[in-house]
Amino acid sequence: MTATLPATRSAADHAAVVTEFFDLYRVHDVHGMADLCAINADFSYPPFEMWGKQRVLRADGKVGTVGKTIWAGLIHSFPDLTNVVHTVNANDDGDVVVQVDIGGTQQLPWGTVQPAGNAYAEPHLFLFRVGQDGLITSITGYWDNAGICRQLGHAEVD
Amino acid sequence: MTADPHRTVTGFLDAFAGHDIDAAMSFVDDDVQVTVHGLGVRDTGAAILRPVLDDLLRAFPDLLVTVKRLLVTGDVVAAELKVEGTQADAYAGAINQEKHIDLDEAWRFEVRGGRITAVDAYWCQQQLYRRLGVKRFDQIALV
Repeated sequence: MTATLPATRSAADHAAVVTEFFDLYRVHDVHGMADLCAINADFSYPPFEMWGKQRVLRADGKVGTVGKTIWAGLIHSFPDLTNVVHTVNANDDGDVVVQVDIGGTQQLPWGTVQPAGNAYAEPHLFLFRVGQDGLITSITGYWDNAGICRQLGHAEVD
Repeated sequence: MTADPHRTVTGFLDAFAGHDIDAAMSFVDDDVQVTVHGLGVRDTGAAILRPVLDDLLRAFPDLLVTVKRLLVTGDVVAAELKVEGTQADAYAGAINQEKHIDLDEAWRFEVRGGRITAVDAYWCQQQLYRRLGVKRFDQIALV
């Protein structure tokens, strides 16, 4: 019996996967973004927090359910949504750290923020984990919603 | 001073978690680039970073900093933190109502020669204000 050892992927390989992810995000290819992820890839946006009566809606779960829904919703509300990647740092283990500005012009409600035709561009920090098969297994994103709200003309915290 | 970025950032975070700002700043380069997105801070120098840490400990004397994950990618280290505390003084324009905060944050560090040369802190100021009882971004001192 013979076995073939998988080729070891480098930091540059992992960085390339994540760069492609943001390229696809820029052209609003949500399915393509998800196709770069493992079927059960983890998803977490800690700043995403919508408070309702006796419940808080958070964005922790899987790319295939929570992630795709948020990306599609954001693109729907901001039809010219785009991103500018500033730095991509990776290691051979598959960790990738990305500084990226994400922004667009609001045309439809986003959460409690009603559209006033204003645009935003907000710095984000993304932490990815890419597996040795070249698929993203984890996405975590951080940003400041207050900055976004102010740019969109929304003054209420909730 | 170690040249290992992981040890440098761990030393900084351990000292900050221990409320020892002098020890934390001993890991920071004098010309550190400091960006704290939630506070609108974008400047250069250790004298910029120190008050950011000072203000947190002054306003939240029981501040608890937990490092959830540390990613080392060459000279760049990213830390996911859980920051918790009880307000005891005004912070970022919000008056003290003795509210408790729990906030997920991510800090990105660049390390050269065993010193932190850049810090970018990401947290959601909306979440922070929500926990402090602030109702409007344009009237932060009013509750």
